[in-house]
Amino acid sequence: MKNLSTLLISLLAWLCSPAWSQADMPAKAGVCIGCHGPNGNSTMPGVPSLAAQNSRYIYLQLRDYQEGRRQNDLMTPMVAGLSKDDMREIGNYYAKQKLTSKGFKPDADKAKLGKAKADETLCAMCHLGEFVGQNDVPKVAGQNFDYVVKTMHDFKAKTRTNDAGNMTSVASTLSDTDIENLAHYISGLN
Amino acid sequence: MLRDIKAEKEQLAKQGGDFYKTLGGGVWMAPAVDLETNSIFFVVGNPSPDLYGTERPGDNLYTDSIVSLDLNTGKYKWHHQYIAHDVWDLDAVSPVILTEAKGKDGKMTKVAIHAGKTGHVYVHDRATGALIRFSEAMVPQDGLWTLPTKEGAKMMLGANGGVEWSPMAFNPETRLAYAANLLQPMTYHVEPSKYPGGKLWLGGAFKTIPSEKQSGRLSAVNIDTGKVAWKFETDEPLIGGVLATAGGLVFNGEANGLFRAFDAKNGKKLWEYQTGAGVNAPAVSYAVGGKQYIAVASGGNNQIDAKRGNSVVVFALP
Repeated sequence: MKNLSTLLISLLAWLCSPAWSQADMPAKAGVCIGCHGPNGNSTMPGVPSLAAQNSRYIYLQLRDYQEGRRQNDLMTPMVAGLSKDDMREIGNYYAKQKLTSKGFKPDADKAKLGKAKADETLCAMCHLGEFVGQNDVPKVAGQNFDYVVKTMHDFKAKTRTNDAGNMTSVASTLSDTDIENLAHYISGLN
Repeated sequence: MLRDIKAEKEQLAKQGGDFYKTLGGGVWMAPAVDLETNSIFFVVGNPSPDLYGTERPGDNLYTDSIVSLDLNTGKYKWHHQYIAHDVWDLDAVSPVILTEAKGKDGKMTKVAIHAGKTGHVYVHDRATGALIRFSEAMVPQDGLWTLPTKEGAKMMLGANGGVEWSPMAFNPETRLAYAANLLQPMTYHVEPSKYPGGKLWLGGAFKTIPSEKQSGRLSAVNIDTGKVAWKFETDEPLIGGVLATAGGLVFNGEANGLFRAFDAKNGKKLWEYQTGAGVNAPAVSYAVGGKQYIAVASGGNNQIDAKRGNSVVVFALP
């Protein structure tokens, strides 16, 4: 509940500031800034950056929230009034934004172990090399460390299940240490 | 192949047949065309979800199949399904080659040949689709048809096969078809999942086994006998394709950047060149002013995470 209040306060603060209205931003993306940050660069550790994300991935995730395949107390009401065109516009906008460095300093040893686990787990088959993503598979290179850890734990615990059985299956084979190591590798990528 | 037909029938009765709408079965590579009989020949990819078969009872036609259609009308002519109800991603992707081979009666017959992820080269009668023969296995097949489990079941072939989408080459003089092989033992994991709304639908995962070596192999298969005539072992699994020239050479590249020429008859390595990035495309041959050239893309590959590059490398033959 505390997290929810913090997020709502942040959201309102952004909506009340002039920064929410950016030149080429779709009007319905204005509300995203509160949590996902200016140009989709989130400064909240547990909230993903959307900048440079694949447009189709963003579109499908918004649709999943709307159709109930993915659930989140904040996101579910946010997408209620969006049309499919709105979702595509939002996806296209964030895909064009530049992902800025968060200054994350990975632990080199953990990142090395994470790379080895990523190779074993064949992550690149879907996420492509360097985790740049493709189509409906997200770019996760340089994503917020806390969010990467949380997402893999959510898949492992099956509290997130809109992955078509792919990530839930993979995550079930990962230990907590594996997840931490993978996140050091992934979040440290440019 | 282990299948619970009773359970599949019960599932069909329970959910109906609408699952065909999301069954998948993409065609990965260009078809072969026979203008004499106005036919096209192509192979079809895996059913969806990939590893979770419960959602799609039955044989899942025409996935994992070679299919022939009328070129003008698209009317069905014949098909042959290699794996019914596939749950390993061992689909049919390497493009079909039209040529001639010895039929069962020993006479030369017009055939369509395909290199399977299963690790065999298949020889079909082009008119009827009848399977004339399939080659001996080009790669080890350990624990074949072990069903995926939640924790992961080990099997060799890996999910890339056998032979991936890499085109084979055929030399009618040597009677050999040349195929790029992968040797990747993997564990297969299944995870029940509903249709995910337009997203990749694996219904599980495959993983490599860190303690087990992965490698590749260039195999030459006599399509008249089905015997492997020679093989060349490589450090890296092979994805790309093979070129055979009329001058008796075979060209193939590797993920580590090496591009090689072989003697088509015996597989002796004649030459190699380090291109600097994964050679994961088939080479082409052409002539300008009477001089023969060989060109190949050196760009790397994501499927086996080969080093990326951005070059086309061209060589002149002496």
